Amino acid sequence: MFYVALFAGLWYTFAGWRPGYSTHEIWMFPLMVALPIGLIMGNVPGAMILGSAIGMLYVGMVAPGSETPADMSLAGLIGISIGLSINADPGTAIMIAVPFGILGVFLNQIRRTINAKFAHMADKHALSCDEKGIARCAILYPLIMNFVLKFPPAFVTVYYGAAVVEKFIAMLPGWMLNGIAVAGGVLPAIGFAIIISMIGKRSIFPFFFLGFFLVQYFHVSTIAAACFGVPIAVIIVLLTKESQDEVIASTNKVDADSSDDELEVG
Amino acid sequence: MGKMKENTTITKKDIWRTFWRWWWTCEMSNSYERMQSVAYCYAMMPVLRKLYPDNEDYSEALQRHLTFFNTEGIVGSVILGISVAMEEERVESQGKMPGETIIAVKTALMGPVAGIGDTITWGTVKPLIFTLALTASVKGSILGFFLLFLFVPATVIYGWYLMVMGYKVGKTAFASLLESGWINRIITGAGILGLFMIGALSATTVKLQFAGTYMSAGAEKTFQSIADGLVPGMLPLLAIMAIYMFIKKKGHKFGTIIIATLVIAMSLSFIGIV
Repeated sequence: MFYVALFAGLWYTFAGWRPGYSTHEIWMFPLMVALPIGLIMGNVPGAMILGSAIGMLYVGMVAPGSETPADMSLAGLIGISIGLSINADPGTAIMIAVPFGILGVFLNQIRRTINAKFAHMADKHALSCDEKGIARCAILYPLIMNFVLKFPPAFVTVYYGAAVVEKFIAMLPGWMLNGIAVAGGVLPAIGFAIIISMIGKRSIFPFFFLGFFLVQYFHVSTIAAACFGVPIAVIIVLLTKESQDEVIASTNKVDADSSDDELEVG
Repeated sequence: MGKMKENTTITKKDIWRTFWRWWWTCEMSNSYERMQSVAYCYAMMPVLRKLYPDNEDYSEALQRHLTFFNTEGIVGSVILGISVAMEEERVESQGKMPGETIIAVKTALMGPVAGIGDTITWGTVKPLIFTLALTASVKGSILGFFLLFLFVPATVIYGWYLMVMGYKVGKTAFASLLESGWINRIITGAGILGLFMIGALSATTVKLQFAGTYMSAGAEKTFQSIADGLVPGMLPLLAIMAIYMFIKKKGHKFGTIIIATLVIAMSLSFIGIV
């Protein structure tokens, strides 16, 4: 387990450093780390199956303002490597992963608290036009801090964890394991609720229910849903534009047609 | 302001450099106090150095871009484009464009742009590609690993386009962008698409079911089947709405929400409801 633990520690550091805006959630995604873990442990298909199952929990999760409701990086690294070492089925791997995903949220909060220190240092460098100093505050110091903060928990858990976790799971009562699995299924709801509270103006709220029940009743895929969602959004925006233009036009006309008012949206 | 540089024209290459500096680093130094400010300053550095050869002006400009800033990184590129244009405008107009205005504009835009960006990038494009990848690997194939990386070209294309657009708009018709209804319509459209997609996604990814079975006419039936007969997805919907109401009333208290979710799930599991 030494090499996989080393990988988990280093990768958790690297992914937590978040290099590349489009890539940072790829580095963290359980399906992505499944391949290297599978290669190290000599069981690629098994790792991909666990990675896909754990990834399913976090695929829809949105992290507005980088405030992650669950740390899928730690959850994936630990869930896949320990799950694979004890030959766990996907369900058990999810139960191993979920608590670590919750623990990781607090590590991320510590990271963003410490990062403020580097912003203060950058303020000083700005006064003396020290470009390299600002670059260090933007890149190097966050990396070092991530290593100190994130390497130990991931390494130690994977290195010593398999046996401990296996014993621990055997000790827990069934209702508690089921409770963790149920909580895992609800976790994505937190990310959704946050983004709804950000963009959900009262007048457009029904579109949430439209999307929800389209999938609940007709079981269409996410891509199919997008095929409906994009035209709907475009149509509404165009209608809004036309009605606004018409309102402007009609107020200019003396004999404004009263039917214009019916078209008005919002 | 100090002495001006003769030729200050910003080239496409300068904008390209700013884009990549931002793209690579914008989440690294993210802090609660200042969010992405250090990365913003780091991204603007080459352009600012080119525009302000005088150290006093340069230092002032660096400080301008160390102020609190937080947005979504891809669609947010549009704001960097605007900042570059405004800084250039400041130099070309011999300081008639006040530094405070440059700060005010990026601060005013970051919120609405984050809403649009979170919706498009993280609420729509990411789940589409990532779900595709998960489905490909559900039986153990490595194909899903490679599919994940489609997300990079997909986002970089519109991020770069928006960055150039921000620069052009910033150079020409910046005031009209804010005043016209254009930006409001984009926000409404993105909001509609976002809510629709979040509805669709939560229907597939949020999982919560009644446990337990009962006997009916000699056949074993689950309590969940009764719920499905009434309204499919009733429990996931209730969970999302409950968390949403909590956030509306009490604000973004993640720790509390997560622990409450865990405690409630275990309690319901203990009494055998879920």
